[in-house]
Amino acid sequence: MITLEVYYLLMAVAAVLSTVATYFAVIERDLVKAAIFSALQSSFYALIFYLLMAPDIFLTYVPVSVGLYTALVLILIKKTERYEGE
Amino acid sequence: MKSRMHAAILATIIIIVVVLAMAFALKGIALYIPPRNVRTLAEIFLNTTFNQWVNISAMAPEAVTAIVWDYRGLDTLFETSVMFIAIVGALTLSRGVGEKLFISGASEAGGLSVIVKTITRIILVMISAVGASIALHGHLTPGGGFQGGATIAVAPMILIVTFSVYFIVKRISIKKAVLLRSAGLGVIALSSFIVLIVALFKGGIAYIFQNQVKMFSPYSVPSYIGDSLVIGGTLLLFNAAETFAVAFGFIALLILITLPEEQFRKIILESEE
Repeated sequence: MITLEVYYLLMAVAAVLSTVATYFAVIERDLVKAAIFSALQSSFYALIFYLLMAPDIFLTYVPVSVGLYTALVLILIKKTERYEGE
Repeated sequence: MKSRMHAAILATIIIIVVVLAMAFALKGIALYIPPRNVRTLAEIFLNTTFNQWVNISAMAPEAVTAIVWDYRGLDTLFETSVMFIAIVGALTLSRGVGEKLFISGASEAGGLSVIVKTITRIILVMISAVGASIALHGHLTPGGGFQGGATIAVAPMILIVTFSVYFIVKRISIKKAVLLRSAGLGVIALSSFIVLIVALFKGGIAYIFQNQVKMFSPYSVPSYIGDSLVIGGTLLLFNAAETFAVAFGFIALLILITLPEEQFRKIILESEE
């Protein structure tokens, strides 16, 4: 039997880890790695949405933010520059 | 030195997040909390979404899909149109690229190794199946047309990366993708009039986007096939058509955005001369 506190704890952990992923995505100079950190943050958000009982948002969020958005950013990086200057 | 600074900043951010969350959870910070009577709206939705004993009911077990395609169907239609207009804009910018691609001597050779290609072939079927199940069960379980379509659109994206963009253009040209997308939108438009057309033939009146029986209008799309198979009236039609529309719309956009810039520029400049 999983109690409500476990869900809250999972949500809190996911929220803190998403903050960490966001920070790394902002400071990373290699933009491919930054895109992957952004996808990681989106995955944590998707988990939070699922635990908050919003499965419809979850189902939209996973393909759009982890799949299509990351792919779009990677294509943009391919067409421009991979490393951010000083 | 630098890594220590990052660690300090990170620790600060985490502490701020935790402290704010704690303060909010222990009601130290009182942000706007919706009043209790807002929930009467939720009660109305829950009472009318799937209820055989009231006159006005959407007769679909999934409240979100019922709201999206029945309660506020016109809103969703315009949302879909917005994406369609975006695709029209992208096509205008890249006029004629899809047709002239193979005249300029592009080949579909290349891509990643055989291992990756084989795995992609397997995963492709799985992604499409998951997308289809999300879309076609949209009136029963969480999910729906856009979610299913967006999930299916990930499949061509992987295909473009592992094979090549020419591989997919040869099978689904931009023209064909846009045609199928328009067909999906056409089915959505038709489905919104389906009850009205039937009612006019029978000499009654009905509303646009009518699904089930409404006030002054006793016409409805059947909600059940047999005793147990729930199809949710027009919701299944809308979801299936929206999946088509979204998936093929994304395919057209993905092809356009992944075409190599040199090819793109060559074709566009040639057409302008």
